[in-house]
Amino acid sequence: MSTLHAKAAEAYQLKPEVVERHDKTFFGVREKRDRMAHALPEWEDLREAANQIKKHTVTHLADYLEQFEQAATSNGVHVHWAKDADDYNRIVLDILQQHGVKKVVKSKSMLTEECHLNQNLEQHGIDVVETDLGERILQMMKLAPSHIVMPALHVHREEIGDTFRRLIPDFDEIAKTYVAVGGSPADKNDPTFLTYVARMHLRQQFMEADCGMTGANFGIAETGDVVVCTNEGNADMSTSIPKLHIVSMGIEKIIPNYRAMGVFQRLLARCGTGQETTVYTSHFRGPRPGGEMHVVLVDNGRSSILGNEEHWQTLKCMRCGACMNTCPVYRRSAGYSYTYFIPGPIGINLGMLRNPVQYSDNVSACSLCCSCDNVCPVKVDLSTQVYRWRQQLDSLGKADKMKKAMSQGMGFLFGMPAAYKAALWMSPIVNWLPGMLLNSVLNPWAYGHRMMHFPKRSFHEIWSKELKHQR
Amino acid sequence: MSNTRENVLSALRRNVREQYDMPDLDKLQPITFADPVAEFITKTTTTAGAKLLEMQPGEDIINKVREAYPDATSVASNLPGLIAANAPALSMHFVNPDTATVEELERIDVGVIEGKIGVAENACIWVPQQMKEKAVCFASQRLVIVLRRSDIVHNMHEAYDRIAASADYFQQYKFGTFISGPSKTADIESALVYGAQAARAVTVVLFDS
Repeated sequence: MSTLHAKAAEAYQLKPEVVERHDKTFFGVREKRDRMAHALPEWEDLREAANQIKKHTVTHLADYLEQFEQAATSNGVHVHWAKDADDYNRIVLDILQQHGVKKVVKSKSMLTEECHLNQNLEQHGIDVVETDLGERILQMMKLAPSHIVMPALHVHREEIGDTFRRLIPDFDEIAKTYVAVGGSPADKNDPTFLTYVARMHLRQQFMEADCGMTGANFGIAETGDVVVCTNEGNADMSTSIPKLHIVSMGIEKIIPNYRAMGVFQRLLARCGTGQETTVYTSHFRGPRPGGEMHVVLVDNGRSSILGNEEHWQTLKCMRCGACMNTCPVYRRSAGYSYTYFIPGPIGINLGMLRNPVQYSDNVSACSLCCSCDNVCPVKVDLSTQVYRWRQQLDSLGKADKMKKAMSQGMGFLFGMPAAYKAALWMSPIVNWLPGMLLNSVLNPWAYGHRMMHFPKRSFHEIWSKELKHQR
Repeated sequence: MSNTRENVLSALRRNVREQYDMPDLDKLQPITFADPVAEFITKTTTTAGAKLLEMQPGEDIINKVREAYPDATSVASNLPGLIAANAPALSMHFVNPDTATVEELERIDVGVIEGKIGVAENACIWVPQQMKEKAVCFASQRLVIVLRRSDIVHNMHEAYDRIAASADYFQQYKFGTFISGPSKTADIESALVYGAQAARAVTVVLFDS
């Protein structure tokens, strides 16, 4: 009867201290976001502007893509179009093979996860190195991201230290130089020390790589800029050392101009991580001297989402992660409980748009508290969309059988007032049944909590006898 | 491939149900500060995690670099003041990012670069690429950014308006970045650590023209 999400979430609860830590970590980010929001008097106007700019851009996307392509091309950038993941993987592989690339350094990109780029390149003998610290940790541990912005916060320092010691070949040499730069590790898994080790390890990777790949937070139609925001500077390292730069960009990342960019730059970090800005907001307008820059524009289902009357507004999403940080279900069930690679409210919806039969297990991961709607910087109606998907479960053959039977029973009762009143009148009888029976696992009303106590008099009865005449 | 392009564009045109107008962004009233320079200094030295020095008229940028990082052994810059003085006088190894390789720049202790716009609301500094190898901005272990005090604006909207209106940027080199402080990460158990992949420390040097 339970969905895969519900089952995985239940298993996650077996370690309450892990749940509590996860919950607190992400609620902490949510609180930082709140402080950012309250510090700007124009906050709600900024969100509304972002919402309207995105609605405008998404509904004029073909025009803006053409404008972007023209600007980028005149800046000396090669623009490619990919209809789906296979097409995208083929285009990237072609570029890399034409340049004889053996090693790629890569900054974080959800699109490359969506298209399984890394696996595809590795199959063709190309070494792919993730350079965002969190992503690098996960890559070494062969784990998937658990969050789109803070992908590895569910992993603990001991596991990270063990992984580094096992998989970074010159770990000991790097560790020795730590003291020379004034470091003194509190212990062998001190985050500052481990970050230093990763820094030195990744610097070797940047120097050895023949290509840097980045995602795109924004593409500016008017100028052809690709904008990438990071705190670590890894996208900049990836594109300052290798001469070849490949950008992977979903077509919905386009915005009209610099005026719009001001709105989104101010919202992205404030909503995502509760910072006023990311450390780096980099505008790539063309190749570096003697280098080459390619932009691959990827559709992969986005153009058909635009035609979906109920769900097209997911295209406004800029992947800040605020909806997951605030979601009580995400915070207490964590990323791996979801069956789609993007978790949380936006992931539920994007998964259903990807494949509703395959990913319908996630629509139960919502209490309809609507908190996500109130933090989303571009006002995607996330909870309403989850509700709509639930209405469609029956037509997908995915409705919960027990709930469906109960709904039919309730429909029958509500449709016949006499039967309903009789049932209500009889309901307190349930209170006299033995507790063992009531609280048994066979009674779904008593699952996860004690069986409710039916009052002696129903609200109906109180209303009709006493309250109705009090005005 | 051109076929894909046409298919994507026509699908987008076909699937649009209702078109929406661009909002009037002039109606936004973004935050301003009584003293944007003071706000910039506060943000730079607190949330952004950078240091800040003020350079008096007649003072030398080299002295500021030395003041910021007394233990520096190598410097990379193409700022005229630094090239002219050069490093032998400082007993420092000196390279110019217009002529040095990225391999050389990666080993450099301190990069010295010029910012063109400072943003009070978030400590961002607009650094257009003005050197052949932008690696100096990221790969240097530590960074000094010089910024004219009168180039500080209130918020990002003003900064982007200035960039859009200027003919100075993206001409010779097609790159520019906002930098607000040292590279940082909180990817290990949310512990804030400065010095992820790029510069471990940043010092902003404010000067009057």
